[in-house]
Amino acid sequence: MNSYPVDPPERLASLTTGRATSFLTEGVRAGQDEIPQVAVVRAATPLDGYAVRWSTAPVREILDEAMDRFADARTDADAWLAPRLHATVRMSRAEAADPGLWNFLALAVAPDYVLWRHVPAGQSEEAAPKKVNAARFVGPHYSQAFARLWWSAEMFRDGPDYGPAVVACGNQDMINTALRLDAVDHKPTALAMARVLQQWTESGTNRLGDRVNALCTAVNTAGSTLMYEVIAPDDAPDHAARAAWIDEAETAASVPWERLPDGPDDGSARRTSCSALTRMFEQFAAEAPLRDRARAGATAD
Amino acid sequence: MEESEEFGVWLGRQLRRTQLSQADFAQRLGLTRAAVSAWVTGRARPRTEMMAKIAEVLGTDLATLVTRDTDTGGARPIGWYHRTAHLDGGREYGNAAAFAFDADLAVLAREVTQNSLDERLDHDRPVRVRFTLHELTGEHLNSFLTALKWDEVAPHYEAAAQSRQKVARVLAEGLRALREESSLLLLRVDDYNASGLTGPEYADGRYAAVVRRQLDSHKRDDRAGGSYGLGKATLWAASRLGLVLMNSTLSEAHEGRTERRVVGRLDLPWREVDGVAYAGPAWLGEPDTEKEHQGVSRSWWADERVVADLCLERDGDDPGTSFLVVGAHDAAGSSDSLESMRDALDQALADNFWAAMTSGRSTPAMLDASVRALRNGETVVPDRRVDPVERHPALTRALRAHLDGETVAELTSAGQVAATEVPLAVPTPRVSGKRSTTHEHRAVLLVTAADGTDQEHSRVICMRGTRMRVMARRPRGLGMGVDPFQAVLLAGSATGRDDAVTRAAEAFLRAAEPPEHDKWGATEDLTATYANAPRRLTEFNAAMDKALHAVIGRRTDGQREDGPEVLRKLLRLDVPTPGGGRRGPGQPAVDRVTGRVDADGAWTLDVTLTVPRRDERWQMKPVAKFDVRSGGRPSLAWAALEPLENCEVVGDRLLVAPDVRSARFRGVTAVESHPVAAAMAGVIVDVQQAREVSA
Amino acid sequence: MSTVYAYPTLVGKVEATVKGAHIDGKPLQLSLISRSERVVALHQVEREDWTEGVLDLEVSVPAGEVDDGPWARVGCFAVLSEGATNTRVVTRLDKQRDDSVWRGEVRVHRSCHLARATLDVCVVGTYGGIDGRVIGTTDAPWVVDLHGRTPTRQRELDIVEVDFRDGPEEWLRRFADAPWLIDTEREQPTILLNTSFEGLSPLLSGAHGPLEKATAGLLAAQIAADAWSTMFHSALADLEFDEDGTPHLPGGWQGAVLRSLLPDVFPELPLAEALAEAHSRRADGRGWGEVQSRIQFAAARRGTLPKNLTAAIRAVSRAQGGARR
Repeated sequence: MNSYPVDPPERLASLTTGRATSFLTEGVRAGQDEIPQVAVVRAATPLDGYAVRWSTAPVREILDEAMDRFADARTDADAWLAPRLHATVRMSRAEAADPGLWNFLALAVAPDYVLWRHVPAGQSEEAAPKKVNAARFVGPHYSQAFARLWWSAEMFRDGPDYGPAVVACGNQDMINTALRLDAVDHKPTALAMARVLQQWTESGTNRLGDRVNALCTAVNTAGSTLMYEVIAPDDAPDHAARAAWIDEAETAASVPWERLPDGPDDGSARRTSCSALTRMFEQFAAEAPLRDRARAGATAD
Repeated sequence: MEESEEFGVWLGRQLRRTQLSQADFAQRLGLTRAAVSAWVTGRARPRTEMMAKIAEVLGTDLATLVTRDTDTGGARPIGWYHRTAHLDGGREYGNAAAFAFDADLAVLAREVTQNSLDERLDHDRPVRVRFTLHELTGEHLNSFLTALKWDEVAPHYEAAAQSRQKVARVLAEGLRALREESSLLLLRVDDYNASGLTGPEYADGRYAAVVRRQLDSHKRDDRAGGSYGLGKATLWAASRLGLVLMNSTLSEAHEGRTERRVVGRLDLPWREVDGVAYAGPAWLGEPDTEKEHQGVSRSWWADERVVADLCLERDGDDPGTSFLVVGAHDAAGSSDSLESMRDALDQALADNFWAAMTSGRSTPAMLDASVRALRNGETVVPDRRVDPVERHPALTRALRAHLDGETVAELTSAGQVAATEVPLAVPTPRVSGKRSTTHEHRAVLLVTAADGTDQEHSRVICMRGTRMRVMARRPRGLGMGVDPFQAVLLAGSATGRDDAVTRAAEAFLRAAEPPEHDKWGATEDLTATYANAPRRLTEFNAAMDKALHAVIGRRTDGQREDGPEVLRKLLRLDVPTPGGGRRGPGQPAVDRVTGRVDADGAWTLDVTLTVPRRDERWQMKPVAKFDVRSGGRPSLAWAALEPLENCEVVGDRLLVAPDVRSARFRGVTAVESHPVAAAMAGVIVDVQQAREVSA
Repeated sequence: MSTVYAYPTLVGKVEATVKGAHIDGKPLQLSLISRSERVVALHQVEREDWTEGVLDLEVSVPAGEVDDGPWARVGCFAVLSEGATNTRVVTRLDKQRDDSVWRGEVRVHRSCHLARATLDVCVVGTYGGIDGRVIGTTDAPWVVDLHGRTPTRQRELDIVEVDFRDGPEEWLRRFADAPWLIDTEREQPTILLNTSFEGLSPLLSGAHGPLEKATAGLLAAQIAADAWSTMFHSALADLEFDEDGTPHLPGGWQGAVLRSLLPDVFPELPLAEALAEAHSRRADGRGWGEVQSRIQFAAARRGTLPKNLTAAIRAVSRAQGGARR
């Protein structure tokens, strides 16, 4: 397994996907070859300014803790890490939309975490080494190892409360499927989905993955004829509060490990809107057929 | 109040009208002829006690002698005077000026209204111009023709219509329409708050310019586009009978009077009537009593009954003129119906005079125009003001913002108007021995976003003088993709300024206009009068483009790397594929889908396919999916597939019969395959090609 | 392919117009708004640090149809969204009683957008007891471009002339001998022309005389063919699919490239089928080699290689003919 970079860069930078891809050899993805650190750092563009939030050390710290804490249950690391990554690398959505930042984290700061978290679960020790999907290093926001966590926290948090994000990240299908949908761009929709998931988790419902996927499909389908924003109105986020929260990163202490950090206090979603959608989604879930994921993609045959 | 006519002039005319010689008159008063002569020539005035006696001899009262606003001796008979042919035998086939114009109502509206604008009297209120289309039939027509003394002119018309000239054909058509259709269309143009036809009968003045001369442009002030110049000929051109009657209320008294100065003028080609050759015009009026014009019909001061009979009554005593075009027609228009002619006038007025008709909050409009239509004195289309906003909303908005001082330097919203200045270096006129200098005139350029309904846009409408439109200039060098705009350039007096440089600019630009007043170019007049004039005009145009670009041009900061043109053009993403029209044999496709959700919650879909005709059967797989907000669409299973037309169903396949162009089937979706209730989703149907096709 | 709904939808057109815009309270020049292209170039010259833009939006909906229609509580909403930042801002528009259009202010928060946001308008109403039904949308969205200097839609590829050997971009050094490269990893595919390749730029930009011009044309066609082929592969590698595996025709330049070349690659198939065929051949390798030739042909044709080659051959033969005489 790839080891901790010997001399990780101190500050985050942006590495274009094209450049990043050129370093992703088979050997690197299999964890056999080292990534040429100097070349990566040279190929990257430093981020503007000297803000503390672009320091790599706090990120390394929580990643190391996660790898230690969830050594036996790697997927469980997501729920712990997502809010803490979000509260550590504090930034605006515009900044987070730059894939260069995530590419740099994956290749220069923590390639070891990407390999640790995403190397396929192995049953056999065959000749061909198991490789991490390149999309975990340089992929879209719902695939890339760090972007998926940060954006899950961003889309499913309720103002400063990361609770719903923890619920969402506790289910792999929720991150993998829901995060791809435009529908979760509407906060009450995202929160209602998390709430339905939470009810299922608490009541020990079976076939949770199938249910989450069915729910996502239903919400996405009905979203083509319904405007959730009209059924469940919400207020615009408080951009100033968020900007202040980002600025606080200069002086904020490291994120707590045992309790949830506080997110930006940019406004909680309207309760009535979340409840209305939760009721609607519960009904969708009750009516939707559960499809066996093994058969999905070949349903019509 | 207006001044009374000189006593001597008045008296002289009364003597002629009553055909009394000065000697006879003196005898009746018991005076010498010399005394009367002194009065007539203005060298002396009669004593007060003599006035009563004079009144008695002339058969009038003392008051008339004081006011001198009426003639004595009763009305002289109104009649036609035809100019006899030149002794040299030269034949004129018609008013050259009139026949330079085709009968075009739009042109008439433009020229006549421009004249009215040029003759505006009180500059604190608009000149009011009203167009009336008036159709006469039956008794109304007869009474009009009688008032016109039609019987006197009829032989002349018949003779003139015999000739083989173009004019004759128009006349013949006019006479035929009058005879066979028993109807006559009058077009009346009234202006109020204008000068009226002032001045003497024959010598220089507005009256003579219109009535007596053909090409005279009686220029009163240097803003005018040549009032009563060539433009007046459009009135005669619009008459199939070459006949125009006038009734004017004068702004300055003539013969001590101002109201109801009436005259008619007829333009006919050379003709012979009862063995006498006539050439050129004829006038309807009172026979003149002055020696050198003995017998010529001159304008007369008509009474109210006569103007009513001639359909020439005016509203009130506001000065101005009413022109009556007898036998009006519009060769350029689609038809001679009242409505279409009304529309043509309305449009022409709005297009040419939207600027003059625009007012600001504290600036009155220069012009107020309206159009109406009557039939035998009854209203058919009520008098309706021409509203410049209707046809030219954006242009009107631009000018109004300028008048109200509400322009901005930079456009930031669609309703705004930007104003900027365009310099024009006006050369001083050539004076021998002196070097020419220039003075800078600053024209005003107004720019605003075009309105969605604008027909003409993205041109600079250039104006001067009374905001008369000279041309619509296409700007250069704006670059691609500029949004449609409206721009108005106010130059010379149109800027609203009135100083020496403004007047010099006005004169310079007028000199740059050809007789049509439709562009600024290097005319002979211009190059003869000014040094370097063509260069100044070129610079003016360039300055216009530059100013416009500064307001609406796209700013490129030069940072974009465009790359070589030769390569760039091969990499355009929006060009249709070369040979895109070439297609394979074609595939079956869904043409139309209708559907509803049935009681069980299933979608029942009726699908029509278009099928390329071929001899083999098409085999395909119908697929239904639910539409989604984003990402992949879920597929639905069919509970039933049922052939309706030209096809059969085998399993989940559809077999379309050979040699047909369309097929129809019905599909019912399986409810258990719906990821969400049917009513919540939109459904899409497609057909996928089954790869192997076997008949 | 049209969608069938279980409720009535509007037939008439919904049209949106951005009438003006402000950035941090300062009005935006109108020349940065193109109504014909439906693009707003939202930027303030020499100012990158703005916070909020506001667009004045005016929307016309088929009023008669709405008034007489079966829907209740009809409302009109502006939807500003950008996929890259997962941002979707919905703004309710208002209509005055005697006004014929809906109006509203759409706020564009700088921190929520990266490059290009799209602005759609949805008409929503209640039907059959269900609120929030989308009954009509604008046919084509407006684009709010945060970087564009001019309000135009991207119509051509970027071409950048850069020094591969000694230029600022270190990664290009190993391509120092290449006359050009095609970079599809950027937001917009870019042709990089190597200025250290002697004679290349002068030939492309300033060819004189028929022979030089013909050569420049041939070279441009070669580069263009290369670019089209590279972009085609790149676009094909990044598709979205329906559950049953049917690929979606993407938007953006990828869609334009596929739409442009597929009819030449699979002339016998309609576009959707051609896309599915290209994808499946690429995925399972069945006859993929043969498809390469077709792509090569289509790209060369799109880059007008045959035409420019003919012109070059004629120019050469004319030049030699002239020399013989």
